[in-house]
Amino acid sequence: MDEEMSSSLRRMSMRTRKVAPKMAAALASSDNRAQAMLARLEALENDNAGLETVQVDDDDEVSFDDDDQAYQKKQSKSTKRKTRQAKALENAKKAPRTFLELLQEANLESLPPHVPSYSRAAVGPPSSTARRHFCTVCGFSGSYTCVQCGMRFCSIRCQTIHTDTRCLKFVA
Amino acid sequence: MMSNVVVVDNGGGLIKAGIGGERDPTCVVPNCTARPSSSKKWLVADQLLSPSEDLTSATLRRPFDRGHLINPDLQSSVWAHLFTNLLKINPASSSLLLTEPLFALPSIQHAVDEIIFEELNFRALFVADSPSLVHLYEASRRPYGLVSKAQCSLVVDCGFSFTHAAPVLQNFTLNYGVKRLDLGGKALTNYLKELVSYRSVNVMDESFIMDDVKEKLCFVSLDVQRDLKIARRPGKDNLYRCSYVLPDGITHMRGFVKDTNEAKRYLALHENEAPFLAGGKDYVELQDGSDNPKDKRNIDLTKTEFSLTNERFLVPEMIFRPADLGMNQAGLAECIVRAVDSCHSHLHPALYESIILTGGSTLFPRFAQRLEMELRPLVPDEYQVKITTQEDPILGVWRGGSLLASSPDFEAMCVTKAEYEELGSARCHRRFFH
Repeated sequence: MDEEMSSSLRRMSMRTRKVAPKMAAALASSDNRAQAMLARLEALENDNAGLETVQVDDDDEVSFDDDDQAYQKKQSKSTKRKTRQAKALENAKKAPRTFLELLQEANLESLPPHVPSYSRAAVGPPSSTARRHFCTVCGFSGSYTCVQCGMRFCSIRCQTIHTDTRCLKFVA
Repeated sequence: MMSNVVVVDNGGGLIKAGIGGERDPTCVVPNCTARPSSSKKWLVADQLLSPSEDLTSATLRRPFDRGHLINPDLQSSVWAHLFTNLLKINPASSSLLLTEPLFALPSIQHAVDEIIFEELNFRALFVADSPSLVHLYEASRRPYGLVSKAQCSLVVDCGFSFTHAAPVLQNFTLNYGVKRLDLGGKALTNYLKELVSYRSVNVMDESFIMDDVKEKLCFVSLDVQRDLKIARRPGKDNLYRCSYVLPDGITHMRGFVKDTNEAKRYLALHENEAPFLAGGKDYVELQDGSDNPKDKRNIDLTKTEFSLTNERFLVPEMIFRPADLGMNQAGLAECIVRAVDSCHSHLHPALYESIILTGGSTLFPRFAQRLEMELRPLVPDEYQVKITTQEDPILGVWRGGSLLASSPDFEAMCVTKAEYEELGSARCHRRFFH
């Protein structure tokens, strides 16, 4: 029993180690950090947590389970009912475009500069660039930056938690 | 015939709908559909509010994205449900007053006109923007107040999808002065979700529950550094720690704040701290006495509840300092200053003195206080800063609309179905000065 536990734990860590180099490469540069930041901000406007991209407006799929197998089963069931092409076509017709797509289509840049528009109404960058940093683990002011991913932490304790649970484990 | 005006404040989060001339809307329902994980049926609007529905891990669909309509089909089905089942009106014999977000894109306006006139067959339509309606309502409430005398105000609408600071002059929103901050209640809820999911329980799928947590437990801090220190204290000295019990699906279907006294402890902090700690001790005794219901609830207590400390004020804090989150946008106070600055300098004193707060996200306790604290140093000395809060910020826009709908000129301002059929959607927008 005990051995089984430890072996499963080891397997877990093997997997993260396999993923980590890729992620490390993707996240090492500050530009990618900025991208990860943007992705996080984008996520704040999601209706359904993260999974939205997986099943945008697909009526046939029941919401995502933690159990991967169950999910795959459901997916294969739904693909059996319809051909992939028909489904894709239907989705393309049905799927509403995001607001950003609509915005791009409206081509607001072409308006003369004196006309107020959506893009000109944005408040713009703050006058002071000073930024408070909060520890991503506990929420108190975080004075240190993780050298690998750029997230903030406040103490060794939080750093350990951060590296164990989050560092380079999110998809940018 | 003439009295039948339907007023709909179509927000990204909540639809406020009712009959023009009345004081309160007939219904305030979520503007979305959701499907519980256990069923295949999509629930619309008011069905989501019924206490018997189990909405844990429900999949959500909203017609709005970033405050603008992106899914006209979904919106039209929500409206159809609203008009036939909730308001029980006949569109063919009624006019509609509809709010539209500022700077709605032309393609979206066309889509809305199409739904109103072609699918729902309304007799006439008037499209209004929310700041002017709020101004109208506040001006009529205090006929001798500054808002109605100077005929201008600065409406700060902090809603579900975004926050606008909009100067209004003589019932028209000065759209060149409007400034937008891309943060609203939805982003705040999602942020809280993210924090709680990382720190205690995974609630990423529980939008409805987290909305409730945010509404009940979050507040605006007046001194973040001090509050962070207090939130760090151990045990009962930590005035901000507070637990929320998640629904277990058996004994209670909705989550609730475990101890409301505990949740309110922060309120007394300002007067003086000492008696308050004593209050904390009372609370301990009370807890010991009433252990039984706790046992009944669940054996594994840690699984069904989570506690919040600094999240309670760090979440609304984002509106004041979006930069802390990595957003390249100025905070609310600066947003207001920029909105005022883009107006004529003669308007500045009057605008600063008639700031009206509206929208659901201004309901956080101490929101106005904090805003004034932040705003004062940014405003020239000789100007007064006065922030007015509405008695019900969620309904403020609707009440303004109801007032406008009952005015004798309303019918003349509308675009009728015949006009629409003759001239198309362009007609509507020339008429509404958008």
